Amino acid sequence: MIDEIALVKELQNIQTKEKAFRILIKEYKERLYWHIRKIVISHDDADDVLQNTFIKIFKGIDNFKQDSKLYSWMYRIATNESITFINKRARERNIDITEMKQELVSNLQSDRWFSGNDIELILQEAVATLPEKQQLVFNMKYFDHMKYQEISDILETSVGGLKASYFHAVKKIELYIKKKTH
Amino acid sequence: MRENAKHTQDGKLSEDIKTGFTVPENYFKGIEDNFLLNLSEKKLPKNNVFEIPKTYFEEFDDHIIEKIKPKKGKLINFKKIKLIPVAATVALIIFFGANFSFNNNSELSSDEIVNWVDVNINTISSDDIAFAFTDLNFDDMNPYFTIESEDIIESLINSDDIDFIIEHANINEIN
Repeated sequence: MIDEIALVKELQNIQTKEKAFRILIKEYKERLYWHIRKIVISHDDADDVLQNTFIKIFKGIDNFKQDSKLYSWMYRIATNESITFINKRARERNIDITEMKQELVSNLQSDRWFSGNDIELILQEAVATLPEKQQLVFNMKYFDHMKYQEISDILETSVGGLKASYFHAVKKIELYIKKKTH
Repeated sequence: MRENAKHTQDGKLSEDIKTGFTVPENYFKGIEDNFLLNLSEKKLPKNNVFEIPKTYFEEFDDHIIEKIKPKKGKLINFKKIKLIPVAATVALIIFFGANFSFNNNSELSSDEIVNWVDVNINTISSDDIAFAFTDLNFDDMNPYFTIESEDIIESLINSDDIDFIIEHANINEIN
């Protein structure tokens, strides 16, 4: 288990910054990647967003005051970067964000980095129809097995609110799949 | 003690029995929803359907470190206020030197430039830099890398450098 406080100190020291940053990347790249990938869907886009996320982390680490956990702070940056990315794409195409998400999912069938079957594709479609908060909570809880408290720290939403969001998300997805498969 | 434990109709232990166990508030209220939620979850697929290139994560570290590494001599952090006068000096030496010498068809000496900068150093604003470098997007610059002000001052007081800047500016202007 990484000592976050010691690592932040090293990250904020110009002499040890690069070495500590390597440790940080090694420790968190995969978790952040998968979090981003579930939002932006394609590998190439996830790669771009992950790079931007780490660059933002590197630039912003000196101002990180440790009011929250490093892990939560980085997840928040990754989440914001992902959402900003999709919003920007939607603006470029002059469509709303829900349409954009559905378009991203519709590209999955021809995506060489997607290996899902029909039901798994429908699940991704269903997730794309959810409101933003429900989508995030669903991905973090269902796929990443995060605890409500951890999600709460990242999304800065109450645990009660998250539970309700997750419940609605699962119910909507279940209904969506039922409609598509019957 | 345990054998004597009795439950009341609403499921609570009678007043005289204390087990020491507690449950979160509203735990029993949510138990039905949790059960239904579990049933719904079990119907959903759970595989990771997203794939990545084989060596993606191995190569990522070096790739990102390369991106954040300072590139010496290429980028200046104009956001650092204290460096703005110095950076402005460099910008205006190029701008002023180029225009003056080209438009007036005359040569500027190093001393003239140094004197001009000396007199005008307090009146140079960040807008002057933006004006001199209209083809640069300052937002895209890497704010991590900074040139030490001492380095710039040292290079400015070196007359060879100033001669080089003037010469370079003249060539650019003529081209």
